[in-house]
Amino acid sequence: MASPAEAPAIPGIATGKIGVWWFLASEIMLFGGLIASYSVFRLGGPGWAEAAHHLSVPLASINTLVLLTSSYTVVRAFVAAERGDVRALRVYLGLTILGGLIFLGIKAVEYTTEIRAGFPPAAGIFWSFYYTMTGLHALHVLAGVVVNSIVLATEGVGAKNPHRVELAGLYWHFVDVVWIFLFPLLYLL
Amino acid sequence: MTSGKVHPNYTAVWLWLLALLGLGVAASFLPGGRTLAVLVILATASAKALLVALNFMHLRFEPALLYALVLIPLLFLVVLAAVLFPDFVWHSRPR
Repeated sequence: MASPAEAPAIPGIATGKIGVWWFLASEIMLFGGLIASYSVFRLGGPGWAEAAHHLSVPLASINTLVLLTSSYTVVRAFVAAERGDVRALRVYLGLTILGGLIFLGIKAVEYTTEIRAGFPPAAGIFWSFYYTMTGLHALHVLAGVVVNSIVLATEGVGAKNPHRVELAGLYWHFVDVVWIFLFPLLYLL
Repeated sequence: MTSGKVHPNYTAVWLWLLALLGLGVAASFLPGGRTLAVLVILATASAKALLVALNFMHLRFEPALLYALVLIPLLFLVVLAAVLFPDFVWHSRPR
């Protein structure tokens, strides 16, 4: 909720929301650039699908399920915040943070398994792309866990500003959308 | 100003997301040619992203000007891919 003193730059949208979307627009270019160059490299060179077969589709599918579900819980947290239901807000934000931590844990297991199997980042161009894209995404998940924890610490003690929950949620959904594309491009194709 | 009191059915959206995830993973096990599998996998991924952006990120309820913020970088991406694409055509052309 914008304070009465600030006039929104776009009528009908709070300034903070424009700010978050502006930031997400730059993030689209960041991940989009990586995805576009990955796709062009992959289309142009043979042997990529074979390297991709060493990844664990079951683990990544579970991770996708976890991230999709955490997107659902963060949106429920926003509904709870709007209603002023602090208890539900705490539960749903807590579940969202837990989802992010589970995702990172599974990712860590994957990295360990892959490196032990002889596929460190330097094992080939597929692996360089794989570690760069999933690593950058994992950093974003970590950032989301931190942001959601801050919102939990401030809003969880008395929902004063449901707008903050929505803005943190926007970022979290974006991280989810990036994974929605990384998962098929790296694991399934 | 939050996105208003109108909320989509979040639970239904979530169930759709899980169904599309299952479909995409199942498609990767399709026997035979890869074309169909690749199409299904990419289509389910795009559908999931749209569902999240329109419902969870509330784009359905936002004014048109906010779409500009989302669409401009996507347009840049198309341009970027189009500029990179000749490189792949060049190198994979039989010599």
